[in-house]
Amino acid sequence: MKFRITYTTEYRYSEPVRDNLNVLRVKPATTKTQAVDDFALRVAPETRLHQYRDYFGSEVVELGVTEPHERLDIEARMHVTTSEPEPAPAGSWEAVASRGYRTEGGEHLLQTEMSPPGGALDGLLDAVRAATPAESLARVSEEIPDRFEYRSGSTFVGSTVSDLLEGGAGVCQDFVHLGLMLLRELGVASRYVSGYLFAAPEDGGPDSVEVQTHAWLEALVPDADSGPRWVGVDPTNRKLVGETHVKIGHGRNYQDVAPIRGVYRGPATSEHTAAVQMRRLNDNGA
Amino acid sequence: MPDRDSAGLMAQLVGDSREYAPAPGFVDELFADTGVPRKHAANLVTTLDGMGRVVLTELGHRRDEIFRQQGITFAISDPSGAPHERPFPLDLVPRIIPADEWELIERGLAQRLAALNAFLDDVYHGREIVREGIVPWELVLGSPEFRRAVHGVRPPGGIYFHVAGCDLVRDADGGWRVLEDNLRTPSGISYVLENRLAMTRLCPELFTGYRVRPVDHYPQLLLGALRDIAPAPGREPTVVVWTPGPANSAYFEHSFLARQMGVELVEASDLVVRDDICYMRTTEGLSRVDAIYRRLDDDFIDPLEFRPDSLLGVPGLIRAYRAGTVALANAVGTGVADDKAVYRYVPEMISYYLGEKPLLENVQTYLLREPEQLDAVLDRLDGVVVKPTDQSGGKGVFIGPRASDAELARQRELVLRDPSLWIAQELVCLSTTPTVTESGALVPRHVDLRPFAVCGAEFRIIPGGLTRVALREGSMIVNSSRGGGSKDTWVLDAAGPHVAEVEDVAARELPDMPTLEQATWTGQEQQQQQQQQHGSGRAGGDG
Amino acid sequence: MLARIAHELYWIGRYVARADDTARMLDGLFRASLQAPGGPGTARLPWETVMTALGARPDPDEAPVSASEAVRSLTLDADSPASVTACVARARDGAKRVRDVVSREMWQTLNTLYLELDTSDLGSALRTGPYSVYAFVRERCALWWGLADETMLRDQAYAFLAAGRHAEGASMMLRMLRVSIVPSLALVDESGSSAEGPAPALLQAIGGLEAFRRSVPGPADAYPVAKFLLFEPTYPHSVAAALELVHGRLRDADPSYRTAAPLLRLARLRAELEFHRGGPPQDGGEGLASLLEHVQRELSEADAEIERRYFSGAAAQPHVVTA
Repeated sequence: MKFRITYTTEYRYSEPVRDNLNVLRVKPATTKTQAVDDFALRVAPETRLHQYRDYFGSEVVELGVTEPHERLDIEARMHVTTSEPEPAPAGSWEAVASRGYRTEGGEHLLQTEMSPPGGALDGLLDAVRAATPAESLARVSEEIPDRFEYRSGSTFVGSTVSDLLEGGAGVCQDFVHLGLMLLRELGVASRYVSGYLFAAPEDGGPDSVEVQTHAWLEALVPDADSGPRWVGVDPTNRKLVGETHVKIGHGRNYQDVAPIRGVYRGPATSEHTAAVQMRRLNDNGA
Repeated sequence: MPDRDSAGLMAQLVGDSREYAPAPGFVDELFADTGVPRKHAANLVTTLDGMGRVVLTELGHRRDEIFRQQGITFAISDPSGAPHERPFPLDLVPRIIPADEWELIERGLAQRLAALNAFLDDVYHGREIVREGIVPWELVLGSPEFRRAVHGVRPPGGIYFHVAGCDLVRDADGGWRVLEDNLRTPSGISYVLENRLAMTRLCPELFTGYRVRPVDHYPQLLLGALRDIAPAPGREPTVVVWTPGPANSAYFEHSFLARQMGVELVEASDLVVRDDICYMRTTEGLSRVDAIYRRLDDDFIDPLEFRPDSLLGVPGLIRAYRAGTVALANAVGTGVADDKAVYRYVPEMISYYLGEKPLLENVQTYLLREPEQLDAVLDRLDGVVVKPTDQSGGKGVFIGPRASDAELARQRELVLRDPSLWIAQELVCLSTTPTVTESGALVPRHVDLRPFAVCGAEFRIIPGGLTRVALREGSMIVNSSRGGGSKDTWVLDAAGPHVAEVEDVAARELPDMPTLEQATWTGQEQQQQQQQQHGSGRAGGDG
Repeated sequence: MLARIAHELYWIGRYVARADDTARMLDGLFRASLQAPGGPGTARLPWETVMTALGARPDPDEAPVSASEAVRSLTLDADSPASVTACVARARDGAKRVRDVVSREMWQTLNTLYLELDTSDLGSALRTGPYSVYAFVRERCALWWGLADETMLRDQAYAFLAAGRHAEGASMMLRMLRVSIVPSLALVDESGSSAEGPAPALLQAIGGLEAFRRSVPGPADAYPVAKFLLFEPTYPHSVAAALELVHGRLRDADPSYRTAAPLLRLARLRAELEFHRGGPPQDGGEGLASLLEHVQRELSEADAEIERRYFSGAAAQPHVVTA
């Protein structure tokens, strides 16, 4: 599929601020199933941009506005082409325990949060245990939306898995963190993915109803015949990742791939809005 | 090492040293186990005996007064948790290390630090030592000190730590062992320098008969290293010391070093990064900063890359660091190498990177994340020391042989909660050395040693370093934050005196020192002349 | 004002400054002498050199002077022109004769210093811990100058007192530079930088180490140190700064300063120093060495001119001369 994506973010400050530094992770990755046709970033007030690839391979843009300003507007426009990924391989749990798998999985095997105390996770763990890792992955993508309500405002960017379990509701970021914890507990290497989701509207129009960046997870699934592969699954939308998911990058958790981080100087308070516009184009790019 | 002193020396001893009894089972730095002073301690003991208890006590009081006046203090928390300033406790009896022993320590440390530096370079690039299965990847990639933000960045000269402090102890067999590596923000050098100054002022007679190697060139070494790494081609580099501020417990040392090096002491609000370059705010506008000796942990230095709530950091600093426009000492991410679990693999690092055997041994260490080692240790918990891998300052250290049954049970539970957070070590029998009590008596107390190395274009190690002493009888916890004290450390000079020959310009060319008598004579001469010229009458003079 | 009084004040200023500087130097040098010479870059100032600089020439045929001998001689020896106690005694003596001119507190300060030194067992104090002796001397001298600043009118009395202080400072600095640094200046290598020699030890001894570090970014080699101690206007003890102050105070004291010989000479000397300040390093440090010699000569001449112009009107002790 072909998409045109526009990511915009606006900051408004109660009084002029200066030395406003921001770090953005909004440019899609280039993978086997995804290619970036073009990407352009505009900033007002105008300033120099610096780009580099971080440890996890995500494309990063750094910018800073020195002189005093009361608003900062950033707009990223991009064209992306995606293709359908291969189905999840059918490797076994023995393979997950093997040395080769553990080396490949590396740091993504490690938990990034303390487990909730008192065995609060036990019921869920039992529910997602299955005959093969791929099946567990599928179950994770079902159990979580079954048991938790998708509701924004009940959690915030620093919420933990315990908060989600207690509150019973959260957003995609929380669902993914829970999924990561479950899979890692089972010994499956998994990583947090940030990206854009094309959610088709009911009337079949070209514009996605999803107007924020989205989060899902990738798990390392062993293959009987060849090396293990990373397979994406979306626990918010109960499905495997496909052509409608455009990946920006991955990390151990949200902090590693946050779309935007900023620091400014000044006593002002700030208001921040971000929005995504994603339009499906037909195959000749219109 | 016991030595054989003559009975004659024994007969010369008077006063306290005859009553000094080294603790059995431990090596004493200055006395053989027969109670006779070691050769290198003979002069000192004689002088101490001559001084006697009253003088020693009196000197102690003067020392306290001086330190209090000069603000040479550090912060500790009293039992209620409130912090207060305590004068840094300096014991007046120095610890003496003969020249040949020091030479061994110096070589051993240089080797160890070279291996650790190679390890850090490897960790942030290809991680070959992990690929080859020598060091487990969990210890590197799972360490909170592994800083992905600087992965692939090589600091100037490939030097990752510019100030290193390795803690050494002398074990019961007389040999030196490394207890711990400190590669992040090792502190204590200011006490080394102030202790030496205080000793030369308070009790210079103790130096009689000794040639003690000086230590006051440390600030110059550090400044030299910082200038070496500063990326400032074709101009004078600007170096600063970055402190979290006066509330920090080591603030005295930060300001001390800044003053001795003649550089600015900055806080976060003084620094700003614009377009990849770090500046400081001066009365003349922004002034570029090339090298920063920073005394903050990685977590706090840049809210954009690390802890976002850190008000002590400079946003964009890592961006400038990556761009190579500013050098940081120590480099970002060195904490991976001074983790207590990684410590266990340093002998393997020495072999892998240098192809050598370690000159200084580790203390036997067990990683409790390994199930077999965990089981073995839990079986003999009352015989080992257990330490958390992520703490410093002696916090959380558990000493099995000294623990009650209840404490043993509690420690077992703590470890089982998450074994990967703990290591265990054999109990090291720290050596002892004579220390003055409040009443002026000499008693044996346990000590360790923290030498300081500066790594610039070459490794230079300050002779001696900080000897920390546990002031309580029988205690082996030497950390100042937990009631320890310190001693001046003397490394003896092996070579003969080599005073620089200064040509005797003066004898030939310097005029006499002017004095009042000469001047009076001149005036008188003048008066005589005028009298003769004008016959009688006084010479006029202005009023 | 009376020539005699001006003369006394000038010399009180010189002697107090001399006692202060000598005490500071002895403290630093004694401390360095307790420890070994150390590695490269820690060459020491030999005691013979220091004694010569301070006008107490040791017998070149005798064995090397020990630290305790040098310390004793330069602190206690009544005949030595720079010994601390001798200078204090002479300053106090002078102050007795001008008690109406200096304030009561100033007199008390100096008198207390003298009495303390006179009644203490300095011999044993020097053995067990000279630091406290020197610290006391320096504290009192600092108090003296502080009180002078606070309590004296800025009149001719103040001017001559201050002129003496700074003239002594310039002279002392020149002497120390000539005996300790000049040989190291000769060891200039291809890149134009000089060896260190005892330059850091000199800085330590005169108490200018921290000031040097703040002011000069590079290492303490002989050439930069010599330049700093000779030219640096922001360092109050540099020769240039001291000469500026002598000139300034004499100008305050002398209504006909425009034609006064010592002032003209000092002005020319200041201009010469200013001229050489920015100059490039000369080969082998000869340029700097001969400049030091020249400055010292000029300073001696200026000393003589000062005596002639302001103090020679003072009636000296009667002395019979048969023509």
